[in-house]
Amino acid sequence: MLNRKKLTLLGLLVILALLFAACGGDAEPTEAPVGEEPVDEEPVVEEEPTEEMMEEEEPPAEEEPAGEEEPAGEGEEITLRVLAGNVGQELALTQAAAERYMEANPNVTVEVVDTPDFVQDRLGVYLQLFEAQSPEGDVFQIDVIWPGDLAEHFVDLNEYGAAEVAGDHFDAIIENNTVDGALVGIPWFTDAGLLYYRTDLLEKYGFDAPPATWTELEEMAATIQEGEREEGNQDFWGFVWQGNAYEGLTCDALEWVSSNGGGTIVSPDGVITINNEAAIEIVDQAAGWVDTISPPGVTGYGEEDARAVWQAGNAAFMRNWPYAYSLGQAEDSAIVDMFDVSPLPAGEGGSPAATLGGWQLAVSRYSEHPEQAADLALFMASAEEQKIRAIEGSFNPTIESLYQDEEVLAAAPFFGSLFDVFTNAVARPSTVTAPQYNETSTLFFNAVHSVLIGDMDAEAAFAGLELDLEDLLGFETGAP
Amino acid sequence: MSAESVPINHEQEPASPKRRGISDLAKREERLAYVLLIPTLIILFVIAFYPLGSVFYNSLSDRRFASGQESHFIGLANYSNLLSLKIVELQPEVDDTGQVVVDPDTGEIDYPPAVSVLPREPRRYRELAQFGLLGNRYVIGATDPEFVRAIYDTVAFTVITVALETVLGLGIALVVNSKFKGRGMMRVVMLVPWAIPTAVSSRMWEWMFKDTRAGFFNILFQDLGLSNGQIPFLVDQAWQLPAMIAIDVWKTTPFMALLLLAGLQLIPSDLYEAADVDGAGKLRQFWSVTLPLLRPTLAVALVFRTLDAIRVFDLFQIVLQQKRYSMASFAYYRLIDGQLMGYSSAASVVIFVIIFVFAILYIRMLGVRND
Repeated sequence: MLNRKKLTLLGLLVILALLFAACGGDAEPTEAPVGEEPVDEEPVVEEEPTEEMMEEEEPPAEEEPAGEEEPAGEGEEITLRVLAGNVGQELALTQAAAERYMEANPNVTVEVVDTPDFVQDRLGVYLQLFEAQSPEGDVFQIDVIWPGDLAEHFVDLNEYGAAEVAGDHFDAIIENNTVDGALVGIPWFTDAGLLYYRTDLLEKYGFDAPPATWTELEEMAATIQEGEREEGNQDFWGFVWQGNAYEGLTCDALEWVSSNGGGTIVSPDGVITINNEAAIEIVDQAAGWVDTISPPGVTGYGEEDARAVWQAGNAAFMRNWPYAYSLGQAEDSAIVDMFDVSPLPAGEGGSPAATLGGWQLAVSRYSEHPEQAADLALFMASAEEQKIRAIEGSFNPTIESLYQDEEVLAAAPFFGSLFDVFTNAVARPSTVTAPQYNETSTLFFNAVHSVLIGDMDAEAAFAGLELDLEDLLGFETGAP
Repeated sequence: MSAESVPINHEQEPASPKRRGISDLAKREERLAYVLLIPTLIILFVIAFYPLGSVFYNSLSDRRFASGQESHFIGLANYSNLLSLKIVELQPEVDDTGQVVVDPDTGEIDYPPAVSVLPREPRRYRELAQFGLLGNRYVIGATDPEFVRAIYDTVAFTVITVALETVLGLGIALVVNSKFKGRGMMRVVMLVPWAIPTAVSSRMWEWMFKDTRAGFFNILFQDLGLSNGQIPFLVDQAWQLPAMIAIDVWKTTPFMALLLLAGLQLIPSDLYEAADVDGAGKLRQFWSVTLPLLRPTLAVALVFRTLDAIRVFDLFQIVLQQKRYSMASFAYYRLIDGQLMGYSSAASVVIFVIIFVFAILYIRMLGVRND
């Protein structure tokens, strides 16, 4: 009996010891990001397993913080990993840019790593690398909404020569990417929501201009949809957009709300404004599109789902980002030269709004070769590279002078005609709510999604959302 | 085992003069046993107790994931935020004269929105559901209705998939256990769905469930005259779970069949011969010979599948994303959305407890014991 007790006791002791050791090592891995080795964290008990444990657990923490690394010498072979997106032609273009960089720098191997399409899942991949302080990723493609939330994991690119070129980029984006004086990301391309419309169908049904208001869009979409279905295309829909419960819905819904004079969820000076008549009205209106002018499945659509319907010639209107333009003109598209883009419609009495999107390149603080990685990031975001991306993939440059470039304008004429849309795009409230933007956005898109799928009306959804945001952010509520 | 049984035996003869000598030997043996146990213990601690312990520790804090922000010990607050439920009576709307307001169109009593009766301090309760009882109307409020829903969905998913997989798996196992031409081939083909990685098969099914007539099921349903070919299977709340169950049953039935096939092959064929001689029909043989002898295998297979199904993650995360959660995908998205390490750790501990309860229930019910 005694022995059994002893064994149990010993077991318990070891578990406890492990717990303490493990938690001690685990609880504050990032608190001293630079130069401190956690050697002083002695395991509490001398049990063998414990020591084994510590050995198992230490390597990531022991990883030399990046900043002090020697820059790669001329001859040294190094590998850089770029974590990039894969929406439309993104990945192919990034790979081509990597090839060009490797040609110019033969000692560097650049691996382009594909990351998930859904923004939230991509963030998940990044966060896991950051939590482990992993040197696995060197250059990260980051969303326009992330600099505030993720700044602590990136180097200040100003220290690596970005200061000289920052002036060429749009001021607003540079400002967005600057956190406490540090430039955490170099702008790569910018985005704004656009309305794609079928020029041939508008003409066929006697409309001479794209819709200026959402109500007009509703009427035009209904007319065209009815006509096309009568002619036999049962798969035809009036309007496709992004209605899944994800960041993309935050973008779409912000455009509806803002274009109806309903504000931007949280105002730049920190007032929760979402619970207002204008916002409620327009979101209820949008819920009415589901299963009338938009497919019932639109509440599960992301960008690429919408584009699939549109590019097969099965939609009269689409809300999407500029990247869909060059793909719509590609050889495998059913709608080459049959569409154009315009600013999104507005609510009654409001003015059109396009959500500001776009992606930046940031260099991880945990990279083993930050100098070379920063060089790569600046190369990929340089004017020459942005021009190639603009021509081949209709990705909007972030460098103002490229909007006067003739080759760029020939490939994507709307860059010129819609210049104002890009420069006046509405930002999501990521700066004012940082570091809680993601939670804010999740609450918002879940509320809107529950209205779209008919769980509740916008009045109830936004009343609840307002309370949630008050609890989360601690801000006052008010009118937009 | 021997290390334990030796000392217990000699303890029964206390104060014997020989005790000391045996005890020395026993002690030495005991020590050796502990030394030999150490590698196993180490592995167990590294891969089981350490992660579990650290999750539990984190669940008591407000730690942020991938952030240098200081974390604090907050006791069980994460758990109460996850699981608090409250039932409140909803009073009907009353007009100025004190009369109950009745909707003139439907003749039903008007109730105010549930937000107005659910408490907000110290934690906000959100509406989970409403129900009527004895003419009164009640609201169930939850501090995190999404998690409560995730628990419900996951348990429903588990019960239905495991039941279907067992029945179908047993059928398939009986078929490929009988002798016919091409049996070896059949056994290999049977395993194909199981061999495909979930990430791939989930995508495949996602396309088959597409909301337009680009999707297989919409075409099928339309050809059968059941719909107009526009059912959004993955968005419509009534279809989401059935779709998930279909994918999982397709994918995991082969695994069940494989386990049961192994069990069937353990049954000696002379039992069937004897049954034949006794004049028992095939059905009788199944109930009286096959099923009882298959019970231990069936129990193991059920435990495997149930515990696996409760922690389902990949399927939900890939196909439904944030439209609907399983418990595990809920924990994942809380970790990503708000970098809420503490909160999602608490959710993980709840999953652990639920799995634990299921495991114990099974062991009790099916008698999966060594002794």
